[in-house]
Amino acid sequence: MQAIEALFPAHNYTLLSLIVLLPLLGAAVNGVFGKRLGKEAVSLLALSVMFIAFALAVVTFFALGHAQEGEQAARFYWKGWEWFHLTRADGSTSTLDVAFSVDALSGTMALIVTGVGFLIHLYSVSYMAEDPGFHRFLTYLNLFIFSMLVLILGDSLPVLFVGWEGVGLCSYLLIGFWFEDEKNAAAGKKAFVTNRIGDFGLLVAMGLLLYYTGGLDWSTIDSGAKNLLTPVQVWPLGSHVPAASLLPQGMENWVNMPRYVSAATLVGLALFLGCAGKSAQLPLYVWLPDAMAGPTPVSALIHAATMVTAGVYLLCRLSFVMVLSPAAMAVVAFTGALTALFAASIAFAQHDIKKVLAYSTVSQLGYMFLGVGVGAFSAGFFHVITHAFFKACMFLGAGSVIHAMHARIHDTDASQDMRNMGGLRKYMPYTFWTFTAAWAAIVGLPLTSGFFSKDEILLKAYTSFIKIPSAALADGTGGSMDVFSWPSWLGTALYAMGLITALMTAFYMTRLYIGTFFGEFKGWKIVKNWQEPAHAHGHDDHGHGHAHHEPGVPLEGPTPHESPWQMWVPLAVLGFLAAFAGFLNAAPLHITPFDSWLEPVFEKASASVQLIEGAEHFELPFLGLAFLSFAGGTGVAYYIYVLQKGKPAQAFVEAMPGFHALVFDKWRVDEIYEEYVIGAVDSLAEFFAWADKWIVDFLLARVTSFLVSTSGTALRFIQTGRVQTYAAVMVLGLGGVGWYFVTPRAEAKLESNDESGVYSLTAPQGLGYSYRWDLNNDGKWDDKEKFGDRTQQSLNLAAKENRTIRLEVKNAFGRSAVRSFNFARPAPDRSGATSRLEGDPGQARRAPEMRQLQKPQEMK
Amino acid sequence: MSSLGYFVEQYVLLAGALFTLGCVGFLVRRNVLVQLMSIELMLNAVNLMLVAFNRQHTADLNGQVFAFFIIAVAAAEVAVGLAIVLAFYRLKSSVQSDEADQLRH
Repeated sequence: MQAIEALFPAHNYTLLSLIVLLPLLGAAVNGVFGKRLGKEAVSLLALSVMFIAFALAVVTFFALGHAQEGEQAARFYWKGWEWFHLTRADGSTSTLDVAFSVDALSGTMALIVTGVGFLIHLYSVSYMAEDPGFHRFLTYLNLFIFSMLVLILGDSLPVLFVGWEGVGLCSYLLIGFWFEDEKNAAAGKKAFVTNRIGDFGLLVAMGLLLYYTGGLDWSTIDSGAKNLLTPVQVWPLGSHVPAASLLPQGMENWVNMPRYVSAATLVGLALFLGCAGKSAQLPLYVWLPDAMAGPTPVSALIHAATMVTAGVYLLCRLSFVMVLSPAAMAVVAFTGALTALFAASIAFAQHDIKKVLAYSTVSQLGYMFLGVGVGAFSAGFFHVITHAFFKACMFLGAGSVIHAMHARIHDTDASQDMRNMGGLRKYMPYTFWTFTAAWAAIVGLPLTSGFFSKDEILLKAYTSFIKIPSAALADGTGGSMDVFSWPSWLGTALYAMGLITALMTAFYMTRLYIGTFFGEFKGWKIVKNWQEPAHAHGHDDHGHGHAHHEPGVPLEGPTPHESPWQMWVPLAVLGFLAAFAGFLNAAPLHITPFDSWLEPVFEKASASVQLIEGAEHFELPFLGLAFLSFAGGTGVAYYIYVLQKGKPAQAFVEAMPGFHALVFDKWRVDEIYEEYVIGAVDSLAEFFAWADKWIVDFLLARVTSFLVSTSGTALRFIQTGRVQTYAAVMVLGLGGVGWYFVTPRAEAKLESNDESGVYSLTAPQGLGYSYRWDLNNDGKWDDKEKFGDRTQQSLNLAAKENRTIRLEVKNAFGRSAVRSFNFARPAPDRSGATSRLEGDPGQARRAPEMRQLQKPQEMK
Repeated sequence: MSSLGYFVEQYVLLAGALFTLGCVGFLVRRNVLVQLMSIELMLNAVNLMLVAFNRQHTADLNGQVFAFFIIAVAAAEVAVGLAIVLAFYRLKSSVQSDEADQLRH
């Protein structure tokens, strides 16, 4: 430990660069040379970079633990280089570095990402072994881990954003991994586009944070966070609402009344929009269920364990910003609870094993946001970790089952349909037992990891709330904006939603568990020593159509097989963790090393979180309620699906077919989005297409080209191709130029100074020019009507005097031109004089205005 | 200057006549060789002007130097011009300039 501290001091912890760059190295080598290297080399490289990264993350974790002894917040920092700097209007600059840092929060997250990531890499090597895109798959996985590590370890929002976009890209690439199928490519696009909406929010939050706190790295945001309590006028957008004057007087005032929120609320809501996109919360959750089109390890790694929790991570990371706005926190908590409830309800009616797991993931993410929203940051983050264990285990278990189903069923939907499974307990013992552990965790069997993490969130949902930031009250700014304070019913509502969700989760997860592993196997008729017809077989969907059997004839097949060790070892590890990781933070047993480990990170935020009075009295009753929800959910599911063989469920579906169809169709949210959101975008696109067609293409392009071609047709008559014609035109042109030069022009530059009354004229020089003037305006030319070479004249005028003078210019050919100029000196300007006295006298003197008083007129 | 028996006007008139002759010749004749000769006439009219006016500024020889330059450039131009005429003749078996109207298209 001492050696590590000496080698890698906290302020220059170069080990971070290694952790981040190793997966990138794997991705680069496998991406470029993967096809030539062969499967063994590709797997070796991908696995070893992951393992080393994991080992280094473990070292970092323990080094952090060592440095954090005595509850001192430890943070290791490594700066790569200066990225760019921004200069603001007031001249101050903010520098942005490509820098990474690790503290208790990001260290734990990095441990999960590299650890679970390594296990899933190992699993993938076997799961994807038959796939022609094997090296591409591992490249993307490595690239994903790299992006995820940049996201977690980045020391500023822009660096985090690079990782944020990177994981989005990898998610897109991996969802559409089998892009030959239109459906998969569409799912990838959907995920990408939905995430873009969230990213917009994150960008807005970045801009606001930069503006208010003066920087984007964590420490600058931290030190400038108090500026976020500034009130910001959000309404009306201009000085008044445009059409408000049409309304009656009282209403107009009400509409035009300026409304303020604190900058922290804006930042919090924008951040939450970003997190809702990435972490699949209402209303942006729609992409995650479709994302299951990707290979199953991807669902486990990206869409259950790591990437989708990035939103929770970001809110935890910026917890000290979030707690400044009770309103934004309430939105986070409420959206989280609502998402949990909503997604759980959809999971009831799904038959696709991966779909159920996907909605369960959305639901569990809702729990995490609920926890973060009520200020229970470490509880929410603990659920991230336990969820990473049990949900990754479930997805990988589902993958193992699908792998077994692929022995005879090659259609994606059929191989993932629970109605084709059943009884797999006997054939796949490892998968069964590990899945059992994960199931126990998610339904909340006491003493498993899910029990502790969920219970903690639910307890905090009821007992804690966010205070109005004391600074806002202290300096009086609170008076000018509506400071939101948490209503007392909110905690109860959140708790109720959470508890109902827990009940529902226990039910549908048990339904999935029983449907897959108990009862009779329904996939095909099992025949001993069955021989496979000669054909290649792959996993998930490869578009094989040949395995479809004749309808009516029962499909025959071999005994379903257990997966190879590369697949069940990760399952075993994750299953173990799912069962026992709860003891890291078992609040009811007062074993909370995890809480105290993260305490320094959330210290600042926790100051704003308050518990209701007598919070400790709720601990035991809530434990009881949590146990009841577990027992109730699983008990009902056991009754319906084991004792009654699913008859009550059948009866329910028959009694309410419309309702069942609605839930089965996921409340038709996709259809609503299709109709209204996508429809609106489509109309906008149609409008722009129209504008493109008729304004750009027609008016700007066609009409212009018509004008050009018409004038071209006209001018083509002149273009004879004969050199004499051109020469004749040239001669004409030269004649014109010559004529211009032999015509004299009587022009003069005037300078007038109303102040002193001195006016002067300067006539331009010309070849062979001679001049005569008539300054006194007596109709006779001065100097006895003779032409001279005097080009400049000046005259003095008294106030209010008017004078017209004339100039005649003659050139060498004896041709002449006459022009007259009129001067008028205005009366002395009194008001101007006073203002000059007040102003800078030098300035007034330096401004002899140049102006022509009268339009020159030709006199010939 | 007239005291020296030298009248610049006469030279100007002569040069103007020569230039007009060349100009009209270039415009109305269709034989490329004649056109080349017309160009030479115009150039020489300019040369004459330069030299004639230079006589009025005895200390300055710019005009005459310029005339030499023009002679040299004209020689080069005739060489190029004749080469073009030759190429043109090979192409069309003619030296009529209105046959050379392909630039129109």
